[in-house]
Amino acid sequence: MNEEQVWLEQARQGDKAAFGKLIEAYQTPVYNLAYRMLNNAGEAEEAAQEAFIRAYTRLDSYNPEHKFSTWMLSITSNYCIDLIRKRRALLLSIDEPLPPHPALMSDNSKGPEAQVVMNEQQAMVQTLLQELPEDYRQTVVLRYWYDLSYDEIADMMDTTVSAIKSRLFRARRLLAEVGQEAGLDPVRDSAALTAVS
Amino acid sequence: MEHEETYLLMMDALDGELAEAQHSELEAHLRACPSCLQEWQALLAVHTLLQQTPALSPAVDFAQRTLARLPNRRVRIWTLTAIYALLLLGGILPLALAVWLVFILRPVLSEPTILSSISQSIGQALQVMGTIVWALLAGLGEMVVQQPAIVGWLLVLLGIISIWGGVSRQLIFQTSPRQTS
Ligand SMILES: [Zn+2]
Repeated sequence: MNEEQVWLEQARQGDKAAFGKLIEAYQTPVYNLAYRMLNNAGEAEEAAQEAFIRAYTRLDSYNPEHKFSTWMLSITSNYCIDLIRKRRALLLSIDEPLPPHPALMSDNSKGPEAQVVMNEQQAMVQTLLQELPEDYRQTVVLRYWYDLSYDEIADMMDTTVSAIKSRLFRARRLLAEVGQEAGLDPVRDSAALTAVS
Repeated sequence: MEHEETYLLMMDALDGELAEAQHSELEAHLRACPSCLQEWQALLAVHTLLQQTPALSPAVDFAQRTLARLPNRRVRIWTLTAIYALLLLGGILPLALAVWLVFILRPVLSEPTILSSISQSIGQALQVMGTIVWALLAGLGEMVVQQPAIVGWLLVLLGIISIWGGVSRQLIFQTSPRQTS
């Protein structure tokens, strides 16, 4: 048994501290997923907390043959999708002013200039992602930040590999189009051609 | 080669799944077709941007605050066990009682006259129940035809009851209170 399996077993028996170790280990992937999906620091934190609470109460239904990280991400992304759909159903404005992510403001380790560049990059990414319908966004986020295979994403979203492929295809073309409109520099000719091989 | 086909090659290239022969195929098309080259440059720009953007972390005390909101699993486990045990007893006790009764009354029950009278009375009871249900259904049918307004009101009432059921479930089964940071 590795460390994670020990924590899981202890958590299953009601040991909150053991589950705390798991929260610490997975807080960034879970929070990042929620933030990319919801584009709002407060909502993302609330959703990430809710995802961990759900995981804790449903620990009995977790199948140890799967990776815990995948299970956790699947709970988080499904919860975010539900939230987005509910939000739309309630007709609340999605275009409300969004607070900037606090971590972007506080991290000065790379020096102020590098920080400004990084903030711009994060802002551009969020702008692009928000242009996608939520299921496309989910696919893109899972693919790019979590390095999941088409198989794993299809499994998680309860659909087929070909559906995921076509979703990613359309999402990428949409992002490319919006990226150009938003002023994202296209890759130069020579670099683009060498990238093929 | 068609442009559409090229797009598919571009996707495989982004996923790093382009076969050797397809590399040159894609490159040749890109050199010859400005519109596909433009698309490829834009796709590559977004792809690179996404690949190079690090994940965002939550606030430093996130884990601590989440931990404080966790419901109590031990209590839940004990409650579930107790309910399970009660259900089990609820099922087993009457069964055991019936088996015991049959065992005690076996000599009496094996008398043919008693057996036939038991089956007769069960048959009669079923008949009576059938009559009652039939009368109820017929009455209901008549009411629907004659008083559609009453049926409408009943439906509204059901709606209200189900809404309140949902609200109270939300209130009862909510996890620990939300923490404001
Ligand atoms: Zn072309």
